[in-house]
Amino acid sequence: MTTRESELSTKETADPKNWTNRLRGWLEGLVPKGQALPDRQPVYVASWIYVFGVLTLTSLVVVIASGCVLSLGGAAWWHVSSLGHYVNSIHLWSVELFFGFMVVHLWGKFWMAAWRGKRALTWITGVVLFGVSIGTSFTGFLSQSNFSAQWIGAEGKDGINSIGAGAFFNVLNPGQMLLWHVVLLPLGVGLLTLMHIILVRRHGVVPPLDAELEG
Amino acid sequence: MSALSIVAEGPGKYIHWGVIQISVANLAIIGVMILLFILALVVPFPSHDEQADEERGHSR
Repeated sequence: MTTRESELSTKETADPKNWTNRLRGWLEGLVPKGQALPDRQPVYVASWIYVFGVLTLTSLVVVIASGCVLSLGGAAWWHVSSLGHYVNSIHLWSVELFFGFMVVHLWGKFWMAAWRGKRALTWITGVVLFGVSIGTSFTGFLSQSNFSAQWIGAEGKDGINSIGAGAFFNVLNPGQMLLWHVVLLPLGVGLLTLMHIILVRRHGVVPPLDAELEG
Repeated sequence: MSALSIVAEGPGKYIHWGVIQISVANLAIIGVMILLFILALVVPFPSHDEQADEERGHSR
């Protein structure tokens, strides 16, 4: 039976001690009303430079989808079947586009000082996301299960050891690298992307420098 | 592509300029990204309806 809003008592819905109420209030307050998926943007957003954020996000969707398909068959599949090769290539090239679009997005936001107007956390989450994405890509190259992965692991171990992380992050351990690549790091990328998008929707798209001066 | 052809791939072409050493492929990708960045700044964004655009500008 569906519970109607009118059937709930005011006390039941507004009790601040109820953690469900508090969580609902927090979720509802994450972005201003109507800004979660806006269909209109300020006029200055009509520029190609503002497109690269969503292009990065679109590439990420393809990366995750193709990665899910690869995980269905595993290395024994993507190395030997033509469909596996195709999906593997989709995964690689969507990552290439992801990073290419993200770097152009980064340049655009850097030169328009996108941290203005209380957007510092938006900028910081973007920078951290860039770093975590590089780590995800690195563990992906280590998970190819071929000679290239072995070579990258052998070359990379000295760098990881030099920062003292080799004891618990062993790039020569393909099982550990695969799990970091398909579980831990994508989780980090996903959460940071969510945070980044919520912050963009919360504070709005940054105006160009000249637009702010005119305003 | 067979496994043998992957092993037999030759080394990439590199450009050496003082302490800088970069593969031609990486340099080309950086060049394309810079070109894309410049184009994104100068190429006009298509607008379907100027009236609607004006309304959007005034709605904020």
